[in-house]
Amino acid sequence: MNSVAPPVLPEPVPTVERTLRRLFLTLFLRGRGSRGLKKSTAPTSIANKLALTLLFYALFGCMALFFVNQDTFALSIYLSGMTFAFLGMFVASSAGEILFNKEEGDILLHRPVTPRMLLWTKVRVLVEVSLWLAGAFNLAGLVGGTFFGHGNWLFLPVHIVSVVLEALLCTGSVVLVYQLCLRWFGRERLDGLMTTAQVGMTIMVVLSGQILPRVMFKLDHILKPNEGAWWISLLPPAWFAGFDDAFAGSGASHSWLLAGLAVAMTAVVLWLAFGRLAGVYGAGLQALNESVSGGSKAARRRRWLPALVQLPPLCWWNRHPVARASFVLTSAYMLRDRDVKLRLYPGLAPMLIFPFIVIFQGRGQGGGGMGDFGVGLAGAYLGLVPLLGMGILQYSQQWQATDVFRSAPITGPAQVCHGARRAVLFFLTFPLLLVFAALAYFLGRDWSQLELLLPGIIVLPVYALVPSCLDGAVPLSKPTEAAKSAGRGLWTMGVMFISMALGGLAAYAHHQGWFWPMMAGEFTLALLVYVALRHSLSLLKWESAE
Amino acid sequence: MISVQNLTKLFGAQTAVDNLSFDIPGGQIVGFLGPNGAGKSTTLRMLTGMLEPTAGTANIAGFDLRQQPVDVKRHVGFVPDSGAVFESLSGLEYLEMVAALYGIPAKAAQARIRQFIAFFDLSFETLTDKLLGAYSKGMKRKVVITSALLHNPPVVFFDEPLDGLDANAAVGFKALIQTLAKEGKTIVYSSHILDVVERVCHRVIIIDKGKLLLDGKPDELVAAHQSGSLEKLFTSLTGGAELERRAEDFAKTFRP
Repeated sequence: MNSVAPPVLPEPVPTVERTLRRLFLTLFLRGRGSRGLKKSTAPTSIANKLALTLLFYALFGCMALFFVNQDTFALSIYLSGMTFAFLGMFVASSAGEILFNKEEGDILLHRPVTPRMLLWTKVRVLVEVSLWLAGAFNLAGLVGGTFFGHGNWLFLPVHIVSVVLEALLCTGSVVLVYQLCLRWFGRERLDGLMTTAQVGMTIMVVLSGQILPRVMFKLDHILKPNEGAWWISLLPPAWFAGFDDAFAGSGASHSWLLAGLAVAMTAVVLWLAFGRLAGVYGAGLQALNESVSGGSKAARRRRWLPALVQLPPLCWWNRHPVARASFVLTSAYMLRDRDVKLRLYPGLAPMLIFPFIVIFQGRGQGGGGMGDFGVGLAGAYLGLVPLLGMGILQYSQQWQATDVFRSAPITGPAQVCHGARRAVLFFLTFPLLLVFAALAYFLGRDWSQLELLLPGIIVLPVYALVPSCLDGAVPLSKPTEAAKSAGRGLWTMGVMFISMALGGLAAYAHHQGWFWPMMAGEFTLALLVYVALRHSLSLLKWESAE
Repeated sequence: MISVQNLTKLFGAQTAVDNLSFDIPGGQIVGFLGPNGAGKSTTLRMLTGMLEPTAGTANIAGFDLRQQPVDVKRHVGFVPDSGAVFESLSGLEYLEMVAALYGIPAKAAQARIRQFIAFFDLSFETLTDKLLGAYSKGMKRKVVITSALLHNPPVVFFDEPLDGLDANAAVGFKALIQTLAKEGKTIVYSSHILDVVERVCHRVIIIDKGKLLLDGKPDELVAAHQSGSLEKLFTSLTGGAELERRAEDFAKTFRP
């Protein structure tokens, strides 16, 4: 009997789609750049990182258990609202980098890959990761909605379908916004518009994520669209809550209407984003590789910054030329750089929503009540802006360019840090102070309440110095990848507690009549700390560039 | 192997490449020269399918650039001047990813990668253990060159390929492209290092402001213009002589 050798099967070749999916998933999980990361801090375990993120989402999702005794619509609108907030934040912050990456053109556009294939693979990865996050967040709600309270077994499959639809709508909407920006405004304004759209979307989503749970707990009656709150039907989370309620809850007619809206809107957005406008994507990727000069209008728009710093009071404030140059550099990055803007403004927004809420809650209450505390707290909370701002601004994609500071004939980073903190105070903190003051006045109609902003204003210079003195925060000098491992939480918590204490103390002192002596004491103490910190900063030398 | 017909690229009102036409047969190394902003990189990006031409077209390795862009891409290799790579991948992960995009099976890809590693004197451990972000500029460039040649393309475009390479690697690279040309591949080599171009290229194309200025063999062009060297010819054509005079004036008058 002849033995027949088994046929040698050709080795399977991975498909292009599969290769790209794997690539974009890896890039998403590891981050795009690893420049400047030491080997020990380089991301090595994707599984650990992902597991931790999902665990955080799952734990946060346990808040849904507070709603299990309410009806299906109430539970679902909470889950859908928060899922929208989380997914929106994730997709909005990731989409720009994933969909329109400038360097990627040089790596992939000359390979045998079509733009449509690139778009589909990227969107698939976005949806895939969105679903992991949504799944983790909705886990507790799913269990609660199925087995506890008014739960029934149908909730499980129905809510899974609604979450998938929600993830598709979220991703499709963001992709659609980008495509439309590209189609309507073209390459020259694409970068700026994408950044603005992305920052806006992220802030909006972050704020809605902060506000929604408060609204949910306080205003039960608004959750009944059939009881006069017709406007809730305009909100996408209500559509998906209606979907759940129609199939697994009351089955009321308005819920069927909302369910129809959920399916129809998702289909329309997907058709527009991937059917009608997918062709624009290829043009967009190519456009990113075109080197277009900004034109005289754009150049004129950029010239105001160096001119502004030459005018009083900024020229008096930034007398040292290095501080002046650092002021212009930091301001330019805060106002123009996409990466910095995407970390800075969404990073500050969630922290600053709290004082707004407290001011609103205390409206009309004068004399030692919630009104005084709210204004005092808002003022004290302002310290978070320079503290977090300086912390975030030490990271940049062009961190290697800050070698120019080290090679310049200056002994240490003091003047560079002074220029940066002044830019943060001037462009971020002072405008916010004006907003708080205007809000406090228009809601309270009481000039004397504005005095309560003073305790916060007095400590601002101290807060602005802390990151440079204690954390070595030199503007734009560290790689962005290192920012992911940075722990600013402790500082933030510290300032939040101090702010609350200061706000409370100021309100109490204002009520008791010893506000001004307290101010004198605080001013003296702040001055001493400020002088000590400034002195220690002036003694700092450049660290060896490893 | 490459036939370019009336290739034009406009960026708004600005003409980057202006009605460019030339033909390059197989087995030829062509130096593609021009001063900064002449339109070299834009031309290479159009020929590799990265940018859509405003007008004109090209036929590369038998495929029309406008009608069959993916087929063109399958038959060309490109080393862009940026040397961009995905820095959070290891060198091996990156090269395996590129190989998969061209449909090269994993085992065959590994074998080819090992050949290039040996040629460029890279260690396999470096390629597997370190992320590309931690590589030196020269090592990254070697990986980019490898990624352009992995699929054994008949046409290769190099845009400033020597940037970052040390002297030994540069010598090896020059030998490599000469070997590739002997095998019948078409090499388009864009560089500002003119003495290298003069030594390795069979032919040079000089462009300025998007227009073709000269096209011919380096020694014949130098002789015809009685310029002594390609560098002198280049500077006389593209206004470099004026720059030399300005530099002398600058050095005399410059006060810090």
